[in-house]
Amino acid sequence: MGYKMPVLNPERLRSVSRFSQPARTYVEGYMIRLWRAVALVGMVSLVAAACAPSATPGGTASPAGSAAPTAAQPVPGGRVVIGTFVDIQRLNPSTSNDTGSSDVSGKIYDSLVTIDPKTAEVKPWLGSWKVSADGLTFDWTIDPKANWSDGKPIIAKDFLARVKMQARSKVTPNKSTFNDIEGYQDYSTGKATDISGIKIDSADPKKFTVKFTRVFCPAMVSVFGSAPMPDHIFGKYTVDNDPTKVVDDAAENNNPPVASGPFKFKEWRKGDQTILTRNDAYFKGAPLVDELVFKVVADTNVLAAQLKTGELSIGKITATDVAGFQGEDRLKLYKWQANSYTYIGWRGNNPNVGFLADKRVRQALAYGIDTAAVVQSVLLGEGAKMIQHHPNVSWAAAPEKDLNPYNYDKAKAEDLLKAAGFAKGGDGFYAKEGKPLAITIVTNQGNKLRETFLQVATEQYKQIGVKINPKVEAFESLVPKLTGGSPEVEAVIIGWSLSADPDPFTIWHSSNVASPTKAGNNFVGYSNPEVDKLIEAGRNGPDCSQAARQKNYQALNKILNEDQPYMFGYTPKEILVADAKIQGIDPGTFNLNGQWNIEKWWFKK
Amino acid sequence: MRNYIIRRLLYAIPTLIGISILVFAITRLAPGDPVRLYTFGALNITEEDIAGLRTHWGLDKPLPLQYVDWVTLAIQGDFGRSLQYNRPALPLLLERLPATLQLATVALVLQLTIGIPLGVIAALKRGTWIDNVIRVFAVAGHAIPTFWIGLLFIILFAVTLRWLPSQGLLTVGHDVWDIPDRVTHIIMPAFVLALGGIANYSRYLRTETLDVISQDYIRTAHAKGLRERRVVYVHALRNALIPMVTALGPLLAVLVGGALVIEQVFTWPGVGQFTYAAARSKDYPVIMAGVMVASALLVISYLIRDIAYAIVDPRIKVR
Repeated sequence: MGYKMPVLNPERLRSVSRFSQPARTYVEGYMIRLWRAVALVGMVSLVAAACAPSATPGGTASPAGSAAPTAAQPVPGGRVVIGTFVDIQRLNPSTSNDTGSSDVSGKIYDSLVTIDPKTAEVKPWLGSWKVSADGLTFDWTIDPKANWSDGKPIIAKDFLARVKMQARSKVTPNKSTFNDIEGYQDYSTGKATDISGIKIDSADPKKFTVKFTRVFCPAMVSVFGSAPMPDHIFGKYTVDNDPTKVVDDAAENNNPPVASGPFKFKEWRKGDQTILTRNDAYFKGAPLVDELVFKVVADTNVLAAQLKTGELSIGKITATDVAGFQGEDRLKLYKWQANSYTYIGWRGNNPNVGFLADKRVRQALAYGIDTAAVVQSVLLGEGAKMIQHHPNVSWAAAPEKDLNPYNYDKAKAEDLLKAAGFAKGGDGFYAKEGKPLAITIVTNQGNKLRETFLQVATEQYKQIGVKINPKVEAFESLVPKLTGGSPEVEAVIIGWSLSADPDPFTIWHSSNVASPTKAGNNFVGYSNPEVDKLIEAGRNGPDCSQAARQKNYQALNKILNEDQPYMFGYTPKEILVADAKIQGIDPGTFNLNGQWNIEKWWFKK
Repeated sequence: MRNYIIRRLLYAIPTLIGISILVFAITRLAPGDPVRLYTFGALNITEEDIAGLRTHWGLDKPLPLQYVDWVTLAIQGDFGRSLQYNRPALPLLLERLPATLQLATVALVLQLTIGIPLGVIAALKRGTWIDNVIRVFAVAGHAIPTFWIGLLFIILFAVTLRWLPSQGLLTVGHDVWDIPDRVTHIIMPAFVLALGGIANYSRYLRTETLDVISQDYIRTAHAKGLRERRVVYVHALRNALIPMVTALGPLLAVLVGGALVIEQVFTWPGVGQFTYAAARSKDYPVIMAGVMVASALLVISYLIRDIAYAIVDPRIKVR
């Protein structure tokens, strides 16, 4: 029970608002996540399992429609209470890696860049940049209006302070984020007392230059999405010539005295709620709502209940909860395409299931499952079939017309199995050389959606003569088996929540194949030199332009679509329930929590 | 008496050491790796970074050595740092303890004030419909899992009737000293937590009271012409309560243990909820600290029971 968060990625992306002022975006925590999603307490959902969600009287706003300018003038005031499944752990983004904390710290600390929630385009925010022809040197200028909430200007030194504190931290999981900045690793280990690649302009404290040792295209998100931290508060904890002095235990980590983002920290009531108040000194103008409260709730059932009672003003729900919100006039549902998907990963490098190394078998498994039926039964229609790694709305996705849709076709599936040398036995299952075509598929326990997916897959594969042994295992013991390449894993149903930057290096590059000696996220053991080359070109350029990277990633998606190392499964819709009085909600695929423009939200009287 | 207490506390030391070895072994041998869980999803992480974290947390040493390290520091009151929160584990737990104690105390009061009268009434009205209702309630209260009752209560009182808040310590926006608000929040979880105990005590008391009221001295008391009320509350109940003390002993610990489940259901920010989350993320120092705190509570509550026994029953002497 408890602890059932959608562990989704913590990118707080913000983007261009449709209101008068341009809004920011933010990208702290460039990462992907195994998507644990929602488990239910031992209780059937509070709602009846009907569908027809679009009948919600409040109106199922399309993301675009909701942003249309309203006749009413925005009025300040009010409190937004956000339902969350996890308490925050640390509010210093340089040391934290959990979604709960970054959702909150992302409101307090803004980044140099912003990501458009609809297109994933990287745009200037706190800073603006110029990049050199070789793609290695970035000249930054921080917005002259940008100040900390105590009135001190946000300066280049604040970005440097961030990089330095992360370099020396003993507990950060993101120490290597800045590895490609010249001189960073020497500073990190204490060999150098300064980072040679970051130079602050002696004439203008808001100007600085960052020099990289190699071209790294995702750096725009991973490096410059890392929020500057106030040097006048945290600077003293990192001592250039003493690597034992670290920011890890600073009292201000969990009690941030100043903010660069739209909200300031007020109070953390441990295990219960975190309270932020509006930052009147915010460089894009003070937010309209007075207060943000992040309230911890036990699970989706409680979240749904509290949205209805008005104890919460917004919260993310899953498709199975949607029907319960019919007839709730004071609530409004927002749905948008998620940047995540749930798939069946086939271990191509596990001798126990050697036949999965055969592309024809994997393709047969793609044809042999009716994904439309899965989307209907698992997501009640609130999602779509996936046939490649990137979601359709991403610029990295290949056009659907260039891909094999793998429409449900039992005959074709069986033909492919026969072509792969299998013959149907008397029990109705295929076998080859006396070995049955049997696969154990494991998924994480407590995730009802995935457990349903597993049931449907087991049933449908049986119809094409493939025997599935379904298995569930606790997330925390499953993860090390996946990333450690355990032979116990033959196939897995799990999900990826993707980063706003499309770089798929950790998932598909052969250097990340999971093995007992080297952990990796490529736990299906996919290894393809051509794919490696495309990933490297998209990652290390030298041309980091969107057009150049798009070419590489579209080619990559075509190969993955053909190879079917995953049955790519489905992508769900993100569903946000909000108090219907809240105006300005405008979610997009590349902003997970739908809160990117929260400073523009206001309550209609 | 003082020697007795000191001796009992000394006896507790090997018990606590035994528990710590057991829990240490169980948590470490269970599958899963805290470092992998902690760093999961960090895109640019390298194997060196992971090794660095392992070293920093002392997880690279052999297990027996890790245990020795842990004991050495634990004796000095240092239970290590939470991996998730990067703060000392014991203070992290202790700052959650008041919420749990509040819940346990209110539940204890409810158990006694409801359970005891129910038992006595059932005994005095033996064989009537009142007795039957109480007995059915007692069996049901014992048999039905509390988390399920908790969820039913939430649906009924919070969602449908909207009489009580469903979750948490207090309403968003309210001051922490808003006592009426806190009372409305604590009633439901405390009552659900108390249910098992209420059922238990009513059954206990019913049996004991039946036992006592058939004794000669009760008949004597009646014969003396004492009023029924006085016979029941002064003569009968006092004796019937003695065996209750044994049941009371582990109560605090049982309540704290039960709170683990109830705190999940009601999002009560106490030790149980916190330790549960720590177990999920394999936050070893917090798990160890949590178990040791709970064990210490158990040892202390047993000691209090034995002392209380001596006080209520003059026939028993502590030596």
